[in-house]
Amino acid sequence: MVLVLALGDLHVPHRAPDLPAKFKSMLVPGKIQHIICTGNLCIKVVNPCRIEQLLSLRCECLAEEVHDYLKTLCPDLHITRGEYDEETRYPETKTLTIGQFKLGLCHGHQVIPWGDLDSLAMLQRQLDVDILVTGHTHQFTAYKHEGGVVINPGSATGAYSSITYDVNPSFVLMDIDGLRVVVYVYELIDGEVKVDKIDFKKTTTTTAH
Amino acid sequence: MLKNKLKIPDKTRKPFPDRLGSLVIGFDYRDGENAGSDAALEFGEELETIQPNGFGSDREFEEPDDGVEEGRVQDEGPTGGGAGGGGCGGGEPEFRARQRPAREGSVPVSVLEVIAADEKRSDVQYEISQEEINLEKLQRIASKGLPDEGGLRATTWKLLLGYLPPSRNLWEKELSENRLKYAKLKEDLLISPSEFARRKNLDFSPRETEAGSDVDGPLRRHQISQEDHPLSLGKASVWNQYFENTEVAEQIDRDLQRTHPDMKFFSGETAISRRHREAMRNILLLFAKLNPAIRYVQGMNEVLAPIYYVFSTDPNEQNAANAEADSFSCFVRLLGDSVDHFCQQLDNSSVGILSTLSRLSELLKTNDEELWRHLEFTTRVEPQFYAFRWITLLLTQEFSFQSILRIWDSLLGNPFGVQDMLLRVCCAMLLCIKSRLMSGDFIANLKLLQHYPDINIEHLLQVAMDLTPDTSSYRLSL
Repeated sequence: MVLVLALGDLHVPHRAPDLPAKFKSMLVPGKIQHIICTGNLCIKVVNPCRIEQLLSLRCECLAEEVHDYLKTLCPDLHITRGEYDEETRYPETKTLTIGQFKLGLCHGHQVIPWGDLDSLAMLQRQLDVDILVTGHTHQFTAYKHEGGVVINPGSATGAYSSITYDVNPSFVLMDIDGLRVVVYVYELIDGEVKVDKIDFKKTTTTTAH
Repeated sequence: MLKNKLKIPDKTRKPFPDRLGSLVIGFDYRDGENAGSDAALEFGEELETIQPNGFGSDREFEEPDDGVEEGRVQDEGPTGGGAGGGGCGGGEPEFRARQRPAREGSVPVSVLEVIAADEKRSDVQYEISQEEINLEKLQRIASKGLPDEGGLRATTWKLLLGYLPPSRNLWEKELSENRLKYAKLKEDLLISPSEFARRKNLDFSPRETEAGSDVDGPLRRHQISQEDHPLSLGKASVWNQYFENTEVAEQIDRDLQRTHPDMKFFSGETAISRRHREAMRNILLLFAKLNPAIRYVQGMNEVLAPIYYVFSTDPNEQNAANAEADSFSCFVRLLGDSVDHFCQQLDNSSVGILSTLSRLSELLKTNDEELWRHLEFTTRVEPQFYAFRWITLLLTQEFSFQSILRIWDSLLGNPFGVQDMLLRVCCAMLLCIKSRLMSGDFIANLKLLQHYPDINIEHLLQVAMDLTPDTSSYRLSL
């Protein structure tokens, strides 16, 4: 029973000040074993002009703090680089194995057209993963495709995207238990947290390689 | 002249203590120095047992604790871990009273010991195989020690703890009922939340999960209530309860890692020992959940260990496979009277640990006022400094594993209950090292009592049996 938190596209502090309070009250340390973050978490504040901008926005959550905040929830944190991330050490893509599942992580702005299922499936085959987690569209989606699952956790802060302004904050929590994964989708709609769940069972395919 | 004509077996010729063991023929000698005194004492014991409480200084030992217990030949206590008294053939039932199980470890077993052990085993087997078991008789036999093999100890303990009813034909029914109950309890309380969610899902929509897996495309979302997700903070949420219990589970795990690290049964990374630890973990977790007032207290794993060990080394396969369920019930029963000792709020009440410790003091006072005075007033070594662990953990931390099993035979076999015998044994432990205590100050005594030296267990138990009960309290043994 491994709990994996998937979120991304926070865009703190530019497009949103912080995670919604209701989300923060639920995310407590000790429950989650892994965190995977699609990217666009935050930007390091180095430029003094930016500091002024930040202060004018009166945001409480400064740049590095998002990364550290996530680290307090769970020490096992995986991040890939989004186009606004200034932390150059984040990789473009990442794969990890949790239980019986292989997970792939990528921000998604590299995959064109953005959010297109077939192109994402190509990336999934390339990375050879069962579950591909990407972001960038700021919309939650979950597709089943050719024996694998493509999940987009949306934007955890509800930041606007290049595509649309109307974004509900959302994130995803996966419960990996043997060959089964239960995906819990947390969305903040009209100020209330709504939780949905999706079941997915991996068919044991014999891999030829 | 007559001697040559009559064929009298050598063993019957010596009713009086024969100090010169070398003159005794027909005995196997295990090692030179001990065998002699053994033989002498076999017979000597018979004459000296019937004594009231005037043991005086004969009870204690001065020996080095290198495992070889020698006593003064005059002592009534058995020494040298000697051979069982079965040497006189079948005609002397008192000798069976002096049987000791073979000493743990390396000493080769003599013929006499084998005979004695056989007789003891057949006694126990006979008792257990009755249709209606006489519990009192079984208690008496148990107080003298139970054999290690044949699963007899397991069955006897189950009978003495009241888990198995005295009527043999009810055993099947009781056992299967209890085991089923345990399995159900486990399912209800120890289930992981994902498992729980999966079953709930299967109940509601057995079809959907199948259909969804064949079709490509967007996955179906099912709305769920506020309680059903892992981050739920609701009190009734399975998930929340699960996370609340992880702290207790972690402590239990830590303690289990440290249980008897010298025994392969419990420690190490083999699949078997892991399985045992997991079974014990389940038992302790279940106990903690069912008793929210005490939860889990460090040390309960030590009390569970002998029970679980005895039950799972039962040669009867069905019993060994169900050792977890049986151990749980017996563990609960055993802790039944001493559970109040673990509850901190009850410390100062009349059922708490402090009251039990003062009863121990009273018992010591009744039996040996000199020692009591020395401990209480001169050196100010109070019972809570050393006896707390003795009493709450039922002496599991003071002796080797084999000794614990032997002591527990006596504890369970006491007709007045485990606690009564426990106090007696504690008092006997003090009396047996009296001279060392009398000559020590606070620090030396405390050190000695907290690391109790090795002594002969049979002797200790005999002293405990012969103590004067404390008549000042209401617990008068009639």
